[in-house]
Amino acid sequence: MSKEKVMEKSNLIKVLQTEQKKEGFISDAAIERIAEEFDLPVVEVEGVVSFYTQFKRVPPGKYQIMVCDGTACHIIGSTLILNWITDDLGIKDGETDEEGLFSLESVACLGCCSLAPVISINGKVYGKLDRKKLLKIIADYKKKEAAGA
Amino acid sequence: MIKRIKVGMASCGIAAGAGEVLELLKEIAQDKEVVEVGCIGHCYAEPLVEVETDSGNYIFEKVQPKEKDLQKLLELDEFTRFQPHNLRIDKERLLITSLAGKIVPTSLDEYKDHKGYEGLKKALEMKPDEIVEEVKTSKLRGRGGGGFPAGLKWSFLAAKESEQKVLICNADEGDPGAFMDRTLMESLPHQVIEGMLIGAKATGARKLFIYCRAEYPLAVKNLNIAIEQIEKEGLNIIDGEPVDIMVKEGAGAFVCGEETALIHSLEGKRGTPRYRPPYPTDYGFHGYPSAINNVETFANVPFIVREGGAKFAETGTENSTGTKLFALAGDLKYSGLVEVPMGISIGEVVYDIGGAEPGSVKAVQIGGPSGGCIPADHFDTPIDYDSLTSLGAIMGSGGLIVIGNDRCMVETARYFLEFTTRESCGKCTFCRIGTKRMLETLERITGGEGSTEDVELLSDLGNKIIRGSLCGLGQTAPNPVLSTLKYFNNEYLAHVEEGFCSAMECKALVDVFIDQETCIECGQCIKNCPVDCISEDYVVDNEVCTRCNSCIEVCPVDAIARIAKGGEVSVRN
Amino acid sequence: MSEIKLKIDGKEVIAPEGQTILEVARENGIEIPTMCHEDRISQTTSCFVCIVREGKNGNWMPSCSAIAQDGMEVDASSDAVRDMRRSALDLLLSEHTGDCEAPCTISCPAHARVEEYVRAGRDGDLRKTLEIAKERIPLPLSIGRVCPRFCEKDCRRNALDNEGVAINDFKRISADLYYDEYMEERKDLTGQKVAIIGSGPAGLAAAYFLRLEGVASDIYEKLPETGGMLRYGIPEYRLPKKTLDREIAHFEKMGGIKIFCNKELGKDIEIEELKKEYDAVIVAVGSWSATGMRTEGEELARGGIDWLEELARKNWQGEDPGETIVVGGGNTAMDCVRSALRLTDKPVHCMYRRTEKEMPAEQIEIDEAREEGAQFNFLTQPIKLRRENGKLVLECLRMELGEPDASGRRRPVPIEGSEFEVAADTVIAAIGQKTIAPDGLPTNKWGDVDVEEADCRAEGNVFAAGDCVSGPATVVEAVEGGRRTALGVLAYLKGEKCELPRQINVSRGHWQSLSEDDLVFLFDPEEMGRVPQRLIPLEERTSTFKEVSHTFTEEEIYEEGKRCIECSCTAKNDCRLKDYSEVYGAHPETFGGEKGEPTYNARHPHIILDNGKCVKCGICVKICSEVVNDYLLGFKNRGFKTKVETAFNTTLPENCTECGECVEACPVGALDWKKKKDE
Repeated sequence: MSKEKVMEKSNLIKVLQTEQKKEGFISDAAIERIAEEFDLPVVEVEGVVSFYTQFKRVPPGKYQIMVCDGTACHIIGSTLILNWITDDLGIKDGETDEEGLFSLESVACLGCCSLAPVISINGKVYGKLDRKKLLKIIADYKKKEAAGA
Repeated sequence: MIKRIKVGMASCGIAAGAGEVLELLKEIAQDKEVVEVGCIGHCYAEPLVEVETDSGNYIFEKVQPKEKDLQKLLELDEFTRFQPHNLRIDKERLLITSLAGKIVPTSLDEYKDHKGYEGLKKALEMKPDEIVEEVKTSKLRGRGGGGFPAGLKWSFLAAKESEQKVLICNADEGDPGAFMDRTLMESLPHQVIEGMLIGAKATGARKLFIYCRAEYPLAVKNLNIAIEQIEKEGLNIIDGEPVDIMVKEGAGAFVCGEETALIHSLEGKRGTPRYRPPYPTDYGFHGYPSAINNVETFANVPFIVREGGAKFAETGTENSTGTKLFALAGDLKYSGLVEVPMGISIGEVVYDIGGAEPGSVKAVQIGGPSGGCIPADHFDTPIDYDSLTSLGAIMGSGGLIVIGNDRCMVETARYFLEFTTRESCGKCTFCRIGTKRMLETLERITGGEGSTEDVELLSDLGNKIIRGSLCGLGQTAPNPVLSTLKYFNNEYLAHVEEGFCSAMECKALVDVFIDQETCIECGQCIKNCPVDCISEDYVVDNEVCTRCNSCIEVCPVDAIARIAKGGEVSVRN
Repeated sequence: MSEIKLKIDGKEVIAPEGQTILEVARENGIEIPTMCHEDRISQTTSCFVCIVREGKNGNWMPSCSAIAQDGMEVDASSDAVRDMRRSALDLLLSEHTGDCEAPCTISCPAHARVEEYVRAGRDGDLRKTLEIAKERIPLPLSIGRVCPRFCEKDCRRNALDNEGVAINDFKRISADLYYDEYMEERKDLTGQKVAIIGSGPAGLAAAYFLRLEGVASDIYEKLPETGGMLRYGIPEYRLPKKTLDREIAHFEKMGGIKIFCNKELGKDIEIEELKKEYDAVIVAVGSWSATGMRTEGEELARGGIDWLEELARKNWQGEDPGETIVVGGGNTAMDCVRSALRLTDKPVHCMYRRTEKEMPAEQIEIDEAREEGAQFNFLTQPIKLRRENGKLVLECLRMELGEPDASGRRRPVPIEGSEFEVAADTVIAAIGQKTIAPDGLPTNKWGDVDVEEADCRAEGNVFAAGDCVSGPATVVEAVEGGRRTALGVLAYLKGEKCELPRQINVSRGHWQSLSEDDLVFLFDPEEMGRVPQRLIPLEERTSTFKEVSHTFTEEEIYEEGKRCIECSCTAKNDCRLKDYSEVYGAHPETFGGEKGEPTYNARHPHIILDNGKCVKCGICVKICSEVVNDYLLGFKNRGFKTKVETAFNTTLPENCTECGECVEACPVGALDWKKKKDE
């Protein structure tokens, strides 16, 4: 492989990130297409995609709930937060509900340790949660969706 | 007369609601300039707003996006003014974060107004080996955790003859509970870049990467703005040649904090580490000699060059010079980012700066998943690389979590092992399978099914994983377990021998109990129970109960609590 | 290039600069194990089985990647290093799925290579079937008829259609066809000679395996004819004595084995003399003393084994026993019941204190006895036997099942006031048998000869084998006992310690715990039931002692062979994980825990990719990408979920067969040819 091409390959992750931003996930077809663009074996691109947790292989829900499981959040009760959401929405860590509305994911750290416990929904962070506050936030999203529909 | 209003808009501020405050302030402050700044480290008081006036600056804490409150603020109302407690002011030493939250992060001019890029200017007039020498004099050690002398690493790269040399800033801050690097990049992107450019001059590297965690969008944004600004001004020209600086976003893999894995990831590959030697300074990014330093390391460099290595070394201890940033969180009053001189004791950080209640703290977890737990009776230990290592912890990147008396140490260890198991790249047998087996063993113990053999297995396998792993992740993964085994062995034994979790944290070892004496029969617990396990006469069916704590949370009179499983509690006759 | 000097395991070696420790060690004849190293590819450094320690600084390092440095003192074999390697292997084994050996081979007490002989038979080479079977089973004519078929009970085919492959019939037909003409390779006689007391299966097997190694033997038999229980305990209808004669004749043909009948220990021969006269003595006297009913009047009943022996001595032409009650639920009881049925037209009862489910007898024996007219009285316990008016009267109690006892079977407890009486002409107590150990030999609490576990030695140069050591058991177990004792004797004769090779076996588990999805099929299994066993007409079964079952025809056996799904690992003969684990003492059970997701891809006609066996060494990935330049395989996921697959888990191209580099380089059986090589 020529040096030029090798250097180009270092953009693979960037291109995958762009794809994910656009489509919300990375499909088989996208992997094949990108592999061809980079002149890389399909299996290598698939291997890269599957290595990094940022890349999703299935479409996520409209509202992506991330429960921070960083140390500060964990010791203050992020497991309870996760379970409360599961009880409320009926989806477990890593799942999307049937309507494709909410998906739930436990993540390493959102970096807002002083606000523990925190979650983020589509990037918006909610901190210092207790059960009441949490359920209200989710209920508001549900309401918003019902009103929009 | 108000000159300017600064809203702390780093991630922590935004999470606390600073965005709404900013919007509203812009509306009601009319002609006054409202700017976004970074973080001053006092996260517990967010959202923070600073008002610059002729007669001095005033900071306001916990500002709510309410017009009435903001009006008061504009009137410089004394009531909500923020005053950091004196003990913290006394103990902190702001060497590298002095500008954080004080200046607009994306303003090159403002950075320059505060001696920004003076270090670079000076460096450009120096010979590369003079810079390396200065850094050696400063005795700056890598802030990413390993503590390798930065000057020495640079001298290796500087000595290399190659058509291309690469300098990489490791900003893949993956420790759960650490946000030092994020704060630096969000609040002081120019300071980090200045440090890198000085490094480029010193080592001859002309290709610079910042490998940043994708979870830090604001950091990426601010860095990119800063890079654009210096390129426009030509600040990136070294010896007549433009230096290429590029921010590369990681994609979610803690192991990429390991330098050979980081390089693989930069190259667009799976982030698996490889055996060293060859070290990256011999064979790095695409084979070119490369040096990797942490964000905080680079952030220290402008001061060293500007003020001199000797001046830098005045702070700290003989072998650990300068300051260290810590992300302080957990069971304490004042969480946030602190910058303290090396050599300060753990106790000073936890009690004096963090405001934790003496007697309520069991331990600190230092160094995240690679670090260890240090019990409260060792809190007089000075924070320096060697003292921490001798206790079985590590300096790490700077996560410092205070663990209160009511937390289970076995569960804490399990938590970290779960993290490293999930983050193992899967290459080395010991790390890939060994951490999984340790995790399963810890789950047996917290699940009430552990044995004393399990405790022995943890220690034997833990030490083997350290020996039999290629990279820092595997070599340190067992630390949280081994250090808790060392200092909190009694908790492990209580779990396996008596089925008792003194912290009442391990679900399998507790029951939920309603004290009939206190109960006012308000029905809240029954209403909120997701599994309908509370009877009409307020008795919990512990066979069905999932220990979700919903009832405990909603009980208005604190009549519900976790008790030891099968524990006898006197009930109303 | 300059040279460096270093020490490996204390041995000073000189090496060119730049070599890895592994390379230096190999060039100097020091073996360091590795799973993931392969000369043709770049370093993978993943398995850590090659780990060594630098003696000076105590650093641990993978020798495949660490470059040898001048002055190093490498420790490549101390206990600490071996312990690390064992743990690495333990960990690899803990996530390894598959079956090193097929369940049939594992469950065979003699550990015959069952899958291999079945395959040979299916492929039309029944002579080879016999050869393989005789590696462990020197009595294939008998065992092919009387074995309780441990192998078939564990056969995975059961998971598909509840019927194991008719494995034993492969032995039977192969022996029927080729036993007389087949003569195994034997070493030249060494001049050493062993005395064997007893010509039953254990004694014969011991003689056989000694002879293979060139050691002669004289077998002393107390009874007038050879074969022990085979002749005097197993009825003619199960094992015709002509067939047995044919089988035993072979032993004398081997040269060096002589059998002397009517030589009773303590009367005609003495152990003390044999000890002096021979290089070693093997006691294989069996377990011949019938246990009584332990009730009043028990002396009026015949002992089961005694009754059968008498019948055998009369060449299976005994008198009509009249109405008969056989007490007991084991195979001997069934033999008595079915023999009695052949001698009388009167009712024959089997009385057993638990239910049919708890009967130790083989189900097929129970079924065939029932077909032949046996009447079963379960939950019945005899309490007293007396003679009245020329008849025997047995007083009994009704029982019910209570809590499980030590054996796990539910204990029968008497129902109060349920006493009743039955009358019969003959009562046979087939409760059990005991060993009568020769005087002077050490015994255990059951009265069996007590021998060393490792070499089956009782004392001095006296060894023991078979039922007299184990208590009453099966023929195939006696044969294995004889072989083990022969190994003990052979080691003793050479003045060596008898050590059995360490063997590990990874197993997917018993078929009862597996669903069809848990199984890995090399080829889609044929949908077909077991070929039925043909029997002689029922009226002959109740009036003569003619052999009940027919040997399968060759056509039938080829058909039946297709039912075998070939469970054992394709790589069992060249698996580095297995080999190293045996050397370093690693074990699949050291760490329990979750195994990876069981995925495999067998869609390629000739190659299987079984992720459950993969050790994630990455050799195949690099062979394909770096050597072959195809890059068809790659790593997916990370951490514990890491696996090797093709893109989107598609099938490897057909023409991969022409290359096969990945298959050949795989250290285990994760990537392998589907067709097994027999070795």
